[in-house]
Amino acid sequence: MDDTRQRPIILLENVCKFFGDFQAVKNVSLAIYQGQKVVICGPSGSGKSTLIRCVNRLEKHDSGHIIVDGIDLDDSTRNINEVRKKVGMVFQQFNLFPHLTVIQNLMLAPRLARKSSKVEAREIAMQYLERVHIPEQANKWPIQLSGGQQQRVAIARALCMKPQIMLFDEPTSALDPEMINEVLDVMVELAKEGMTMIVVSHEMGFARSVADLIVFMDFGEIVESNPPEEFFQNPRSERTKLFLNQIL
Amino acid sequence: MTFDLYLIIGSLPKMFEGIGLTLQLLFLSAFIGLILAVILLLMRLSLRWYLSIPAFLYTYVFRGTPMLIQIFVIYYGLPQFKSIQQSVLWPILREPFGCMVIALSLNTGAYVAEILRGGVLGVDKGLHEAGKALALTTSQRFIYITAPIAVRITLPAYSNDVIGLLKATALASTVTLMDVTGVARTIVAKTFAPYEIFISAAIIYLVLTWLIQTGFGLFEKRMSRYVKQ
Amino acid sequence: MSALSGWWGVLFWGTVVTLKVFGVALLLTVAFGLLGATAKLSKNRIAVALANFYTVVFRGTPELLVLLIVYYGSAVTLTSIAQSINPAVKFLDIPPFWAGALGISLVVGSYVTETFRGAFLGVDPGHVEAARALGLSNLQTFIHIRIPQMWRLALPAFGNNMFSVVKDTALVSLLGLEEVVFAADVARSVTLKPFATYSVVAMIYLAITTVLTLSVMALEKYANRHLEGAR
Repeated sequence: MDDTRQRPIILLENVCKFFGDFQAVKNVSLAIYQGQKVVICGPSGSGKSTLIRCVNRLEKHDSGHIIVDGIDLDDSTRNINEVRKKVGMVFQQFNLFPHLTVIQNLMLAPRLARKSSKVEAREIAMQYLERVHIPEQANKWPIQLSGGQQQRVAIARALCMKPQIMLFDEPTSALDPEMINEVLDVMVELAKEGMTMIVVSHEMGFARSVADLIVFMDFGEIVESNPPEEFFQNPRSERTKLFLNQIL
Repeated sequence: MTFDLYLIIGSLPKMFEGIGLTLQLLFLSAFIGLILAVILLLMRLSLRWYLSIPAFLYTYVFRGTPMLIQIFVIYYGLPQFKSIQQSVLWPILREPFGCMVIALSLNTGAYVAEILRGGVLGVDKGLHEAGKALALTTSQRFIYITAPIAVRITLPAYSNDVIGLLKATALASTVTLMDVTGVARTIVAKTFAPYEIFISAAIIYLVLTWLIQTGFGLFEKRMSRYVKQ
Repeated sequence: MSALSGWWGVLFWGTVVTLKVFGVALLLTVAFGLLGATAKLSKNRIAVALANFYTVVFRGTPELLVLLIVYYGSAVTLTSIAQSINPAVKFLDIPPFWAGALGISLVVGSYVTETFRGAFLGVDPGHVEAARALGLSNLQTFIHIRIPQMWRLALPAFGNNMFSVVKDTALVSLLGLEEVVFAADVARSVTLKPFATYSVVAMIYLAITTVLTLSVMALEKYANRHLEGAR
């Protein structure tokens, strides 16, 4: 094994996060390697969203370390922005900028944060729109697209920043059932291309076929983490078994 | 009670001159007030207490006291001080027009700052997070994401404020200015025909109000083309 | 502040008059607002048209102008009527107090009409249906169901409307009413300290509006108390 594979691209060490008195994340440690696909699942309120939102500093962790590609996440703005350029995020509610067209949504960050020229940004944007199979929607307003299309645009928008890691926070939970697959298919393609992905999701079919590691969280702690076959066939903890019974 | 139509027609030319002054007051104050409002907004949103608290106090005072008093303090009160008389601002403050513009701008600035603040707070939190996740800096997020959306949200309230500003210009008549109301009062004092003249003046204001509303309506339509109807 | 010594009494009594105008105007405003809102929401097309005319006209006309029309207009009318009865009458007017209160309430009433209309529309129609199903008459439903719910929704905007009433009372001084601004005008012409005088009046108004804001906040809390436990 070479060096880059040995050093985790994301290292979480004893991370704790409080909201007032409530502890949302309790002493979580996790190492994620480049190219790994990690699916985090668990009941609502288990802290899984909070955890990944700490990785790009949308939430501030209260103690422990989060090291992303060698950068220790702290309050320094420069560090935060460096990390955010390496980490792309896809939200449950898509969060496309409503006042910009699809292509403008994609071009905004590369132009402002990476200082790309208009021409470069447009090329990259069209490239990724093709990747998510909706290049013809480039000049539409987000409101004119279906939920599944909007989420695919959101994925493309994050990809335009050429991140090394992609975070997905329940990407299909806000979609009507018939649109879930078009988004999952894009995510599967992304996985096949070697992207490092952390996905918070209930889509167990996706987890089973794509994940290298499934992490089960409950009450802010990691209860169990295993490759899919182990996870689904031999759940070790009672809580895991309970959860699997409920969703499968 | 008779309704003297000839009187109305005869007074129309003078009233139209009044419109010129009214509109000057309106546009100048709206413009300066808007700039002031943006500055106040940024101060109010700032995390630095020495910026946000003065901005809050300013807004509180100007929204909590009558416009008439604000005019009187500036028009009657400021010339009292020698330091003002000798300052650069004296040529402006000496004239009732200047005092009126300043008073109107300061007042509308406070109101519009609050309106803009409501708009900024009304922008979906998720959009801020998306901006953060894309590594945009705070000022980039404000300029490219928050501001455009806040402007659209605040347009209805802002158009109401402009109409309020139009109505406030009528107070110029209390400091000898010959705006529409000033002209009307002068004519009424001579002719003792309050109904004809004041109602004509009211009609002029109503027409101006209608024009402002229509203008804003068109602007709103254009800005809302990406919004669910 | 020493410049105003001797004038505090006059200012005090002026403030009392201001508060009286505020009180009367507020009552009239609520009356006009309720009238206008119910008219706008009624099925009677004439009522709707009249109410629309009312709101359009009075939201677009400067308060000062309305006060001038009400006061001088009524004076001219009353004088001519009185003169036709008794030619010796030189001038008859409505006291500036009432002309002022009426003028203010006509203008702010048009805004309150919109406030109340929006609030009425926000009342859950299911509640109204339930009341009818239980056998309550239209009037009973209106008083016991619609108005209490409407109040809660109207409070924030109505608080703003009340602010307008307070501030518009200053305009009544221009009709000659001896309230606080009028007192200040007199004080200033004698003391020759306009800045201090008018600043004091400003602070008096600020005190009134502050009390008003706090009252509205307390009222809002009270009106929403049945919703507090909700998650």
